[in-house]
Amino acid sequence: MRGFGRRCRGQGRVFVTLVRQTAQQLLALGEPIKTLGFKAQEHLEHTVTLGEAQRQRLTLALTTAMSHHAHIRQQSTRLTHGKKLRHCKLVNAYDPTIAPILKGKSHCPAQFGRKPGIASEPATGFIFATLVPTGNPSEPSYVLPLLDKVQRAIERSQTGPQRQIHSVAGDLGLNDAVVRQALHARGILTVGIPKTVEPIKTNPSAQDVFDILTEAGLHRKRTPYQVHLACASGYSRPVVESHIASVLARGAGHVRYKGLEGAVLQQGMIVLAHNGAVMVRIRQQQWSKRAQKFRRLLGLKLPKVNEINSPKN
Amino acid sequence: MTDFVPKTHPIRQWADTFPWVALVSAIEQSFDTRFPKKSLRGRRPVPLRVLFALELLKHELGASDEDICHRLRTDFAVMYACGLREYQVNPAQAHFVLPETLCEFRGRLDAALMDELLAIQAAAAMDEGLVSPSHLVIDTFPSEQGSQRVTDATTLYKAQKKRSRSSTTSRSRATAGPPNSKTKPKA
Repeated sequence: MRGFGRRCRGQGRVFVTLVRQTAQQLLALGEPIKTLGFKAQEHLEHTVTLGEAQRQRLTLALTTAMSHHAHIRQQSTRLTHGKKLRHCKLVNAYDPTIAPILKGKSHCPAQFGRKPGIASEPATGFIFATLVPTGNPSEPSYVLPLLDKVQRAIERSQTGPQRQIHSVAGDLGLNDAVVRQALHARGILTVGIPKTVEPIKTNPSAQDVFDILTEAGLHRKRTPYQVHLACASGYSRPVVESHIASVLARGAGHVRYKGLEGAVLQQGMIVLAHNGAVMVRIRQQQWSKRAQKFRRLLGLKLPKVNEINSPKN
Repeated sequence: MTDFVPKTHPIRQWADTFPWVALVSAIEQSFDTRFPKKSLRGRRPVPLRVLFALELLKHELGASDEDICHRLRTDFAVMYACGLREYQVNPAQAHFVLPETLCEFRGRLDAALMDELLAIQAAAAMDEGLVSPSHLVIDTFPSEQGSQRVTDATTLYKAQKKRSRSSTTSRSRATAGPPNSKTKPKA
């Protein structure tokens, strides 16, 4: 038996001998699968009664199943032979899409699992896009795929003026020169992404606004008013935490479905359900002071309330 | 159903926010492309609207597949959210959904379709003028992968431990001999 990390942080025990014994039994049980699979493929090719579309579908399903089996078999053989897996590279031998979240406390078991990303509106918490990547890549790599998804949603919108993304905010983890450059090229302000641990100025002076626009090279594209708004909506941990807490309350902290596809599906459903709850809050005008101010500045209209007050007595 | 569920009911308010027609047509389109129907014979399928609403409600209410399928039979608010406007007494009809059916429906959803559904919802919210994508906040959060394989060493270890414990108890009972004759026999 091997233990990982400090005992006071919880026991991370792995029963190596037991795993090897189990893997050996399973390998013996699944020995004929490869031969049977090939025979099934041959039979499928020679069958006359099936249509072309059905044959293709069945062949694809069989090939996928065979490849999955080959992958599991390879990992099981490694376990049986006692070959060491690469440190910090593989958490679950049977699911290579899971990877450890690299940033953690020292001398403690590393957090591992999925690391979904969200792009939300700071005022109300409406989530425009979600992303569950393979493994746990660095945080800046989330930005552009998430913005692409938001852009697709904007393109779907049919009424009202053409909408644009003006600014993006994030924590210090998003501070990356390449990402900043890519965002500036798209005409997006990066005032909300801090460069140091110092808080972002909520009310920048005229000189600050000029400097921000010069640095981003967006003098003609973004107005000083938009810079002020971007600074006001700048990264605030409690705001983001409230969005994350709402998603976690719906079970996003624990992926119950299998594999990466399962994680994507669960996060997507949770986000849809969360957005429904946000819309209810917006329609009932249950906003925080900050959200009220921000909506007013953005010029978002109040939802129509057509309710007739019921008589009190 | 609309008469039974008050307008202020949280599930009704929540369900009324979704652009159901657009969402369901996107799912239908995706399913028709990827899983074409081979035959028109057999029992009519459960409407996609019901299955999709159940899947969303499952996460909104924190219920399991079994729980939400049971609630669909008795809870008017859940029926309303699923788009059923008339109560059907015959349990063989549309509002009778098995957890296995829900699981199969879930298996057909993929990442591209989920992105499309989220985009449809966001676009509908923008069209209503309720939200704006002008200023966004991006962040990540950790999520534990909880699916446990049957071959998991921990599960096997627990099963073995349980078995050895139960065999030890039965052995100790056997060595203790027959029960005391003074004790009162159970009825």
